[in-house]
Amino acid sequence: MRPVAVIAASAVTARGLGWRGLGRAVRAGDRAATLCKGLGGVLAAQVPSLPAAQDVEPRQLKLMSRGARLSCVAARSLFLESPALPREETGFFLGVGASGGTVKELEAMLDASFSEDRFDLGRFGTSGLGACNPLFAFQLMNNYTLCHAAIREGLRGPNAAIFSRGSGTVLALAEAHHAVAAGDCEVALGGGADSALHPVTWAELRREAGEGVVPGEGAALLALAAPEHARPLGFLERCEVHPGRQGLELALESARRSLQAMSPECVVLTATPNRREAARELATSACPEAIFEASTLFGESLAASAVLATVAALDLLQEGEVCRTAVLVMGPDGDVGLVGLAREVAS
Amino acid sequence: MSRAVITGCGVVSALGVGARAFWDALGEGRAAVGPIRHFDASRFPTRVAGEVPVLRTDGAWLREYLGGRLPESILEDWEASGALRDRKIGFGWVAALEAWRQAGCGEDASDTWLSMALGLEQAFLEDFGPLLRKEGARTAINWAAEPGASLPRVRFRSRIDLSADGLVRMLGLSGPVVPHVSACAAGTLAVAHAASLIERGAATRVLCGASDSMVNPLGLGGMSRLGAPSPRAEPDACRPFDRRRDGLAIGEGAAMFVVESEERALARGARPLARILGWGSTQDAYKTTAPLPDGSMARKAMQQALRRAGLSARDIGYVNAHGTGTPLNDPAEARAIREVLGEVPVSSIKGAVGHLMAASGAIEIAACLLPFQRDCLPGTAHHRERDPECDIDVIGERPREARVEAVLSNSFGFGGQNATLILGRGT
Repeated sequence: MRPVAVIAASAVTARGLGWRGLGRAVRAGDRAATLCKGLGGVLAAQVPSLPAAQDVEPRQLKLMSRGARLSCVAARSLFLESPALPREETGFFLGVGASGGTVKELEAMLDASFSEDRFDLGRFGTSGLGACNPLFAFQLMNNYTLCHAAIREGLRGPNAAIFSRGSGTVLALAEAHHAVAAGDCEVALGGGADSALHPVTWAELRREAGEGVVPGEGAALLALAAPEHARPLGFLERCEVHPGRQGLELALESARRSLQAMSPECVVLTATPNRREAARELATSACPEAIFEASTLFGESLAASAVLATVAALDLLQEGEVCRTAVLVMGPDGDVGLVGLAREVAS
Repeated sequence: MSRAVITGCGVVSALGVGARAFWDALGEGRAAVGPIRHFDASRFPTRVAGEVPVLRTDGAWLREYLGGRLPESILEDWEASGALRDRKIGFGWVAALEAWRQAGCGEDASDTWLSMALGLEQAFLEDFGPLLRKEGARTAINWAAEPGASLPRVRFRSRIDLSADGLVRMLGLSGPVVPHVSACAAGTLAVAHAASLIERGAATRVLCGASDSMVNPLGLGGMSRLGAPSPRAEPDACRPFDRRRDGLAIGEGAAMFVVESEERALARGARPLARILGWGSTQDAYKTTAPLPDGSMARKAMQQALRRAGLSARDIGYVNAHGTGTPLNDPAEARAIREVLGEVPVSSIKGAVGHLMAASGAIEIAACLLPFQRDCLPGTAHHRERDPECDIDVIGERPREARVEAVLSNSFGFGGQNATLILGRGT
């Protein structure tokens, strides 16, 4: 895989806006989880209120899931920090999560559709549908997590939304990488946005991820360009997925070979509780001295997890203490994702 | 660089189960939009759809088509979980297995990638019953009751990539899974992605395509609330490029393909159904609710695909349009086709099978194989009155005989995502 330059980055996390400092926070083992009222008081890595300059206009919110809003904030933040980035031809490849319509609209629909504790199809057709805002449908469309941000920032290049519960976002980064490497566009954005704080998503995550999972949310983007770029923040050397849906052992074995070949000086890992031990063991096989757990800071942020860990790794590169880092992703999908970053391209 | 070819195709649509049934019906100019039968839609604003002719996509139906490929214990587990309530899961499996068999894939194909476009999660509104409680005049969901509630394992909604998970187990796939969710452009992007993986040498074989069904209460109702479907509950609800068009007809189904390198396919004696020559994707970046009226970014996607294919406009012998039959889509697309390709035969199959949403691009790629199979260009069901705003050569209701060497398929998604794919004759 030919390296490409990372020329800009952005993140919105439980710590607020910005990616710089995230590597240090991950290395220090910082936690950002607070009690989340919406989920009945569980600990969650929830994004706090955002500055109006980056946030979405209130009238647009009715059209947006939480993931779409976070994606918009990350994209606006990227272009505010890097105003010289091109837009019109820029590619955009995003890992996106599950549908996330507002619970209030859902409750209104259900209220009008149940009769004597049973769902009544006729009532749903005549009353339930009319009880919710018609724009609710837009909140349910997963690809709008990408589209809202593209529309807001005028991004018209090649694009794709890839569903992700971990490794899908690594594949989105790989597509952004390929779009630049193949010359399909000069600049491509790759990343992910999601919220595990939606009650339905949380219910699914709790069933799949094991005891102790902390739901999180966030979004992060990398802007990628040809390696000859004048002022790169670092280089994206590797994005790969080792499929684990047929059994984790094979995935771990092939990921171990790749990770060892990368020779990272540190590994930033994000894993659900039921895969954390396997993730740590895998990371240890390549780099026993420096393993940092991003999920401690970001929680399990599903489609955002891989890229939040990646911007934290980029921050560690920028600090100058390491020259090569690896990101290890083991989300609820059962796959093993690897991302490799380097400060310099090997000549 | 390896050229990507399609060596297997499977289809489930309103025209029946199987690619042959689909091509036969298109070749005869048949259409299959009609009253919804698998649930009572009589009190819904939209009551017709391109519904797959099967009432229940349950274990019994799957056993008939999967032929023991999925172990009985796994099938029972899936059925008990409640997941099979989502029709697109079974549609995807049946179409994929047909493509797999047609391509002659066996045990040695386990390193295959899966690039699959999937529609939205299907909401199971009935699952919320045990969690509802009254708070004064309003109903609220008591989420705290969820862990203890006696509900099926797949609760509230089907996860988007469940169909893909089943295929991985059924076919023993060990390559990565790429779940594309770019709305109505997703099916085309999934096939384009497969071709790209082959060309760049990242994969040797990709099972790709799409499966979707919005013919369910919330899917149908949500689309109706947006005003996208035709208000007429008639079999000709969708009339692409027709002056009287007034909206789409929702459809359901799946189309799956085996894509591999041409050299590898020929070396193992497989017969390519088509070559994947080029593709392009763009974003309108215009509005959340409407396409760019001038079709300029759709035009650009077509131009990208031509450039990648190394073809000129005159090389394209047929266009399978996105052609939704909505007032806004068709003129914008017609303008883009006219500007890029000039005079070329164009049709849309959405009048015949409905709009398969995430699977629309995939089934339209399956329709694009018909010209190569039978020298026949599909017609446009229910297109009777020419619209001056759609100034292109629209093939009417009857298919047209023609031998063509390259065809182009357009797919445009809600939210402004545009995708184009160009296929060439396989042999």
